[in-house]
Amino acid sequence: MSTNGVETTYFRRVSRWKLLLIILTVALVLTIIISLNVGFAQIPFSTILQILAKRIPFLGSLVGSSNIPYSAERIILEIRMPRILAGALVGAALSAAGVVYQGIFKNPMADPYVLGVSAGAAVGASLAIVFGIGFTLFGVNTMPILAFAGSLVAVFIVYNISRVGSRVPVTTLLLSGIAVSIFLSAIVAILQVIAGKKLHAVVFWLMGGFSGVEWKDVWAILPLIFIGTVIIYFFARDLNILSLGEETAQNLGVDVEKVKKVLLIFGSLVTAAAVSISGLIGFIGLMIPHITRIMIGPDHRVLLPTSIIVGASFLVICDAVARVIVSPVELPVGVITALSGGPFFIYLLRKKKESYGV
Amino acid sequence: MAVLTVDGIDCYYGSVRVLENVCLSVEERDFVGVLGPNGSGKTTLLRSISRTLKPHRGVIFLNDADIYALKSVEVAKQMAVVPQDNVIAFNFTALDIVLMGRNPHLSRFQMESEKDIAIARKTMELTNTWHLAERPLNELSGGERQRVIIARALAQEPKVLLLDEPTVHLDINNQLEIMDLLKDLCIRRGLIVLAVFHDFNLAARYCDSAILLNDGKIISMGNLNAVLTSENIRKVFQVDAVVKKHPITNSLYIIPISMPKPSLSRKLSVHLICGAGTGTTLMKILAEEGYNVTAGVLNVLDTDYETAQLLKIPVTSEAPFSPITEETYKVNLEMMSKASAVVITAVPFGYANLQNLEAAKEALERGIPTFVIEEVPIEQRDFTKGKAEKHLTELKSKGAIFVKNQNELLSLLDILEDKLNMTKELSSKIPGHFKSETNSCEVDEVDGSKSSNF
Repeated sequence: MSTNGVETTYFRRVSRWKLLLIILTVALVLTIIISLNVGFAQIPFSTILQILAKRIPFLGSLVGSSNIPYSAERIILEIRMPRILAGALVGAALSAAGVVYQGIFKNPMADPYVLGVSAGAAVGASLAIVFGIGFTLFGVNTMPILAFAGSLVAVFIVYNISRVGSRVPVTTLLLSGIAVSIFLSAIVAILQVIAGKKLHAVVFWLMGGFSGVEWKDVWAILPLIFIGTVIIYFFARDLNILSLGEETAQNLGVDVEKVKKVLLIFGSLVTAAAVSISGLIGFIGLMIPHITRIMIGPDHRVLLPTSIIVGASFLVICDAVARVIVSPVELPVGVITALSGGPFFIYLLRKKKESYGV
Repeated sequence: MAVLTVDGIDCYYGSVRVLENVCLSVEERDFVGVLGPNGSGKTTLLRSISRTLKPHRGVIFLNDADIYALKSVEVAKQMAVVPQDNVIAFNFTALDIVLMGRNPHLSRFQMESEKDIAIARKTMELTNTWHLAERPLNELSGGERQRVIIARALAQEPKVLLLDEPTVHLDINNQLEIMDLLKDLCIRRGLIVLAVFHDFNLAARYCDSAILLNDGKIISMGNLNAVLTSENIRKVFQVDAVVKKHPITNSLYIIPISMPKPSLSRKLSVHLICGAGTGTTLMKILAEEGYNVTAGVLNVLDTDYETAQLLKIPVTSEAPFSPITEETYKVNLEMMSKASAVVITAVPFGYANLQNLEAAKEALERGIPTFVIEEVPIEQRDFTKGKAEKHLTELKSKGAIFVKNQNELLSLLDILEDKLNMTKELSSKIPGHFKSETNSCEVDEVDGSKSSNF
């Protein structure tokens, strides 16, 4: 019936979202399994499936494990698996933060690093590398902890600089984010100059990557990123309404200042968590929300989960490419994302009108 | 019972006070216009009522609850706002936007139900936007977008609707459509409408009452007839205006006349022979240009007579619809002979005002330069079987200057003014009767220079 056309389309859209999310999740799992096959050591795909199946309760006992080489099992489970899962988590976190920042700032150029998260993390990590501050504290690598602390301190400073009374105007927030980032970048430059032999390590961290990631790193960031993105998702509809402008959102019953605060805090938290183990990986948080928005529209209730899954898959793929493209040398994954992100950025500038709708 | 009460609020932007001691109360079914010049605090008043700008002093009550003590969700269930600019950051469809109006009624994880869609559809049908439901809002025209935004506000199912210049982007048909809709909601569902208007006539046509703001203070408030007076308009806008009841809509309408321009002052005085509206614009222009204007003979109730009253131009007047009496004729001639020029507009001539031409002839004979504006040929406006035409021909032969339009007249008057100033200087040196003679001599010159035009 034509009179009910619009309503039907509307509800069909909602069920299409659910289907899309299921498909994308399956795609993510497949991407992870396939990328387990990518690496310097040649491990047959059947072996990988056997190794994975063995870990599944009940099913595992049915799989014959006698012919799996010990080394293959170690490489898959102890080296590739944590690294790939870290990649997925970081991709998810950066994409979620990208959605949040673009939503709050109503600005397509906003990315998870706008509030000085990256610069703060860089200072923290550089300090850890250059001065080797208690390189293992209580058996934990301190570099991620310092990177995490550095990014949160930077966000805290930016936030308080831009606060006017109880309000946080978006423009001052962006501007102070840039100012603080520039200042912190200067400190990183100083640290690089005095780094001496450790310069290579600093530069490598700044370029971003997942080599050497272990299970304990994954376990450290998993709860932060999981809780952070879940809380962000609570505010998905508020993000929709914020796109009408802050005053209108207020008039529609959104507690704008509270929502902004919560989203900024948890957006920064998941970014800091991601950055602490991966270093700086650019363009994910900028690109993924845009691509997803073009695919499924601007509704944050579907944009956020979709971006998370797409971002996770994308970073897993990028990392797989980084591992083998100039094998046996491994490229930092940040190089791959930047290489694909640069052209995308130009495309975005040219397409801005259509994709952003302003 | 008052639903909305504003009790003595002061609002500041930084240290600048924008509203001062504003009090008002609005009841169900009220349609209130907020009027005032730019920067008078209209939008600020709306913002503070909509819980966006907390007043420094005073309280705003919505159904006896202080709105700044309520949660914004609670306020949003009862009050909706249609802002002035509606730029939306992402490509949401019109239906998405209208459904956002359901936000205060939905809990955090609730998706919009069929009931919400039905409400959205109803409000979109009311605002005539349902056919646009699936179009991105940013691709719609200004008028369509405004109607979608109003639908969104109505989807909140509010008791109070605040609008900031709701019709500013709209064509006249859309304006009336939206205003009719608001009025209808107001009357039939008891919706309170509080809207800022720039257009006084639109406000006058739909509002029951009005608030006139100036400089952050309420100048006048209450029934429209009491607020929209020409005194109030002059006080607030420094503009003279005519306020009348429109014969068809039976609502007030306001015609702004002019800003008083005290700057220019000229020595030349001009007497107008006009009527039936032919002198209205000329009177206004001449007065603005600083000429001393007189007019006559005009019948009371004639459009030109009313304009003259408004512009405070001295007029020799005759009773309505009456021919000019001998006595009035003399008074008018007296007035005319004090003028330094006489202007005859393209007024239709009948037996009631034919004497004005005779007076002009006499003035011309006394040496007062006379100008005739011939925008409409005399044959088309002579209702005296050729007598008026004969008079005009006679005037021409005696040296009256015929011009095609107002602009030509104004430039000639300019020249005359200059010459007058020069002769004033001269006559201070050369005393006596010379003055009037030089005057007429000049006019001949002017006539000569212009005669090739006709």
